[in-house]
Amino acid sequence: MLALGLALLLTATEAPERDAHAEPPVRAAPSMRKAHAPREPDTTPCLPLDARGEPYPICFDPGDGLVLGTGLRVRDGTGATSLRAGVHLRTGRTSRSKGTPWFNSHRLLGLDAWGGARRGLTFTAYDATLRRHLEEGFILVPTARPLRLPFPFDVTLAPRLGHLERRVWEGPGWTLETGRVGLLLDPIRSETEHVWLGVGPVASHTLRRSRDGAEHTVSPFTTLMLDAGLESGDGLWALRASGLAGWSLGLDNGTFFRARAEAGLERVLLAVADQPVVLQLSGAYAHRDAGLARRSEWTASAGLAVRAFSARW
Amino acid sequence: MLVPAVALGCALLLAQTEGEEARVADVLPVLRVEPAEPPVIQPPASPLPRQDWYAPKVCLRLPPTKEVPSGQWRAQCDAKARRCLVAPRYERDAEGQETERPLERVRACTEEFHTPDAALLKTYRLEPAVAEAPPGWYRDERGRVMQFNFDLNRRLWLGGAWAPLWREGDAAGRMRADFGIAVEIPGEGRRLHRLRFIETELYLGDLAGFDSTLMRYDFSVERKEPLFRVTTFFGKPRRYDIDINLGLWMEVLHAEELERGATEAGFLTWGAVHATLDLWHSKDLVSYVRVRAGPSVERDYKNGFTTLVPGAVLEGDLTLDRDGFHHLRLGVEAEKVLLAQRVEGRPLRPERLRVSAGYEFILLAINDQPLSLVVDGRGAWREDLANVPARWEWSAAAGLRYSLWAPARRSAPKAPDVGE
Repeated sequence: MLALGLALLLTATEAPERDAHAEPPVRAAPSMRKAHAPREPDTTPCLPLDARGEPYPICFDPGDGLVLGTGLRVRDGTGATSLRAGVHLRTGRTSRSKGTPWFNSHRLLGLDAWGGARRGLTFTAYDATLRRHLEEGFILVPTARPLRLPFPFDVTLAPRLGHLERRVWEGPGWTLETGRVGLLLDPIRSETEHVWLGVGPVASHTLRRSRDGAEHTVSPFTTLMLDAGLESGDGLWALRASGLAGWSLGLDNGTFFRARAEAGLERVLLAVADQPVVLQLSGAYAHRDAGLARRSEWTASAGLAVRAFSARW
Repeated sequence: MLVPAVALGCALLLAQTEGEEARVADVLPVLRVEPAEPPVIQPPASPLPRQDWYAPKVCLRLPPTKEVPSGQWRAQCDAKARRCLVAPRYERDAEGQETERPLERVRACTEEFHTPDAALLKTYRLEPAVAEAPPGWYRDERGRVMQFNFDLNRRLWLGGAWAPLWREGDAAGRMRADFGIAVEIPGEGRRLHRLRFIETELYLGDLAGFDSTLMRYDFSVERKEPLFRVTTFFGKPRRYDIDINLGLWMEVLHAEELERGATEAGFLTWGAVHATLDLWHSKDLVSYVRVRAGPSVERDYKNGFTTLVPGAVLEGDLTLDRDGFHHLRLGVEAEKVLLAQRVEGRPLRPERLRVSAGYEFILLAINDQPLSLVVDGRGAWREDLANVPARWEWSAAAGLRYSLWAPARRSAPKAPDVGE
């Protein structure tokens, strides 16, 4: 309902007049290949013309936009309403030092809050995947005449900064992952930002503050991370899966194994004033990694969200 | 003579306008030379010659060959020798067959129709060559380009190492994770600014701890004028120039936490400012051996008081080879903690001594990002840990470091110098 409300609010804001004969503005961050391709005419499949001859978008970028949504979440059999918000930004750039393209997805100020008897929230200041693409990956062996061995992977840097979890029902305290950085290899090496599969080690530091005091845990590249995504060319469908498994070392209380898996599906249902309303379905399982007590739990959620400013013009 | 002269004048006038070069050829038919025979590409020499990064290139269309069916070549010509070094415009596969992938990191070549004497060039001796590569990069015979020169003073690094520590004859197994960001910026004149951000070493296992600095800055300078002059008047007056390259070193928010047995210690340096004196530095200022000294303000947050810590350091950071593959780092450091409150089990004004030597060597590069081997040895003698007798403790570390960014060094040579 909140999502629909926002969509209607956006409808109330008059869309700028567009000249049917004017060229559509260039999208801010297309894939690198598209960025260098000649601009397509108004009749592009993503911008059909309405009865008055005005273009309207039917393609969207799941990695772009201002997201605000609400839904229902079930955790270990207990249901609750939830609210999601965040800023997604997808950019492409060519490295100045290496001359190769980067596909970057940034997610800022992500908030996920839920009510009910087990209310709480998570907040992530910054989360990103930065993938450097090479048409022909290689390993250089610095012999007198440099030797080039095939290395069929793109390399992805996956940083996350400031991930806070607060569960009111667990009592006073919070869990803060101050920083996490993953170094992932992507065997798919897609030339677009719509497909990726990164697997690799992760280093992180987490601080748990409870009534018993503070507890520091680190994972010095002893955790394996998976991050995969598949999006349709028109951005109407988006599938994302991620996983994390490995050992963390408590500075005071030894080593423990933890794992986490999450999958989500998004489908654009309709667009109001060119702003897409998205159905979001997701499921997650955490093994000794949830909350202050590092409990195991599963979660399923369904909701609607408005992803404003994600239309591809 | 008059007509060609007028035509040449017109051509030169037209050539003033950007994008009009094509017309030059139109008005200069006299310069068009049609080769009597189709151009012939000579058999390849071994090793293949290399085009010069800085020399201009012409995009020539030559008769298709089995290996280069598109007939598209880049030519670097020498009119005096009537010779062109030609390289295909597209990369080749393992069999030498042209692919659809254009050459990466080449300079733009002038299209044939913008080159009035293109036909003349085709009458030159055409010798197969490897296309040019930018300084610090190498292009193989298939036309694929790769970086072979790395600036490890401009990078973001992530690393891990096995770093055991020996104290009083006992060895403690530890792992070390390290990361940080290094930036080097040449300043005006002969000056080089160095910055380090979140340079962190995290020790895990027995005797765990960490050492992290939010920001560190320093610069080296090569002054044109001597700092001061000494003139002597014994006999004939003589003047002696004293060149002293003084600089600055500072750090902000440096935290160190460690445990030894039952003792836990934590120190947070709010800020430190040292004056530096380069005993030696390389021509490009990148490598140096220097001394530095100055005060820092430190918080002993386990014992709850703030101290003043003067220190002096002799240190060196040397890049040993032209391509940035070998790095040697050395350091000897002494500190004295002043204005401390009395803590049971340690002196009122404790001292610290540290020595270190490390070597980093690039093993290989993955997608132009270097992976290096790091080995180092360190020793420390400190009195600032309560109830821990002051003893020398030694650690050795061996591990790997993966660096992002790491562009070619500013002094990188051109590709033909590879292996020389």
